[in-house]
Amino acid sequence: MNDVAVRVDHVSKSFRMYHERNQTLKATIMRGRRSVHEDFWALDDVNFDVPTGSTFGLIGSNGSGKSTLLKCLANIYKPNKGSISHFGSIAAMLEVGSGFHSELSGRDNIYLNGSILGMSKKEVDRKYDEIVDFSGVEAFIDQPVKNYSSGMYVRLGFAVAINVDPDILVVDEVLAVGDAEFQAKCMQKFTDFRNAGKTVILVTHDMGTVSKMCDNVAWLSHGKLVEVGPAEPTIQAYLDTVNPGA
Amino acid sequence: MNYLKEVLSSRELLANLTLREIRGKYKRTIFGQLWSLANPLALMLIYTIVFAFILRVEPEPGDPSGLNVFAVWLLCGLLPWTFFANVITSGANSLIANAGLIQKVAFSRIVLPLSLVGSSIYNWLFEMGVLLVVLLIIGSFVLPWIPLLLVIMLLLAVFGAGIALMLAIANVYFRDTQWFLGIILQMWLYLTPIIYPASLVTDQSNRIGGLFGTDITVEFIYNLNPMTHFVEVFRQLLYDNRWPDLSEWATCSIWALVSLLIGIIVFRSNEKKLAEAL
Repeated sequence: MNDVAVRVDHVSKSFRMYHERNQTLKATIMRGRRSVHEDFWALDDVNFDVPTGSTFGLIGSNGSGKSTLLKCLANIYKPNKGSISHFGSIAAMLEVGSGFHSELSGRDNIYLNGSILGMSKKEVDRKYDEIVDFSGVEAFIDQPVKNYSSGMYVRLGFAVAINVDPDILVVDEVLAVGDAEFQAKCMQKFTDFRNAGKTVILVTHDMGTVSKMCDNVAWLSHGKLVEVGPAEPTIQAYLDTVNPGA
Repeated sequence: MNYLKEVLSSRELLANLTLREIRGKYKRTIFGQLWSLANPLALMLIYTIVFAFILRVEPEPGDPSGLNVFAVWLLCGLLPWTFFANVITSGANSLIANAGLIQKVAFSRIVLPLSLVGSSIYNWLFEMGVLLVVLLIIGSFVLPWIPLLLVIMLLLAVFGAGIALMLAIANVYFRDTQWFLGIILQMWLYLTPIIYPASLVTDQSNRIGGLFGTDITVEFIYNLNPMTHFVEVFRQLLYDNRWPDLSEWATCSIWALVSLLIGIIVFRSNEKKLAEAL
């Protein structure tokens, strides 16, 4: 077993900020192929390791690059420089209910969503009862999801995603959904996850959640890594910059 | 090769997305799958009235089948055309329509346009099934030709899939593509011998002779259109009950493979940038 689950190796990611973007053919033809842009570095030389079996938090203010990093981890964006290597299967939960079709039943959507998240039909078959049970929508499973309340919709999506069962789970702030009871269930699931020796990478603004759940924390500011280390001191350092007076 | 493996490993996802399209498409309609026939039937009615009744286009009777029904002759070319048009229009929009999914989940993007090809094939099979029944009723000896029909259907699907992959990418960068496509498809329909027989073009071409003092004839240019060859093969199998020339098969196969190859290359080299570009 490797003691590093994810290695973020000098990752930089830039976006082009277009002043005049050629999004129509006319613009391209009139101006030739050149469009005027400036590079904006959303991530600048970010470098850290996530230890296996730990819960790792990403914190920082809005626009600090947390979500960009998350998308790089999820293999949705490709870093311009550096690389991200992971040891073990990785799954990302950036949204719940991805690809749900509102006219299809909850049952059909479990299979659809499951396969979008990379599960085979056999795996979904095996975990089907657990998914339905966890979501708590048994009674409505054959109804089209457009008739679901927003809470039920999210719970079903979360139940599928959490059952993908990867070695490394990357989670955006989707925790803040559902009622208190469901949130407690989610927290329990994450605890189980960690007890099973798996790694969780978490992005949230809720410092309560971070200090309760995370072992280690990386603090990002304006695309740069400010500090990485054990949760409590790093969170404290971050909070001190946010409220300097306190 | 690695790419092929990646696509193969997402075949279950492809099947699920195709099912999503098929099941979602005619949900909550009274006529359901019958709607798939509505568009070609309406076109058939219009073209038959305008071209057979008013303008008096008279295609040769089927040789050797002896069939002489304009509406059926028309459908043998029109159904493949509407399929093709559906594949490339829906394929061109497939990435934009699923922008949310692309930005939130990592998966093999190629399944998005391909799932629309799949659901169009499903509708097309249904339409062709109905056409076969009609052909049998009016006395076309079509049953022995069904295996070959499936081959040409596959080739047309491959050809359409390749173009859909290219257009899907083009549409991400230039949203003009989808509007252009509507116009192009209209012109393309009339540049293909669907509503009129190709022999009329040959006649004109012989009358005019070489263009601008060269050997290039109108017919030569006309035949550069791949759909001309596809439609001819469909008609010869279904309407004439005749073995199409080997050269026609070769032309269709080459167009299909070239289109798919370019489509995959274009798609693959842009796939990783989609989440940002959308």
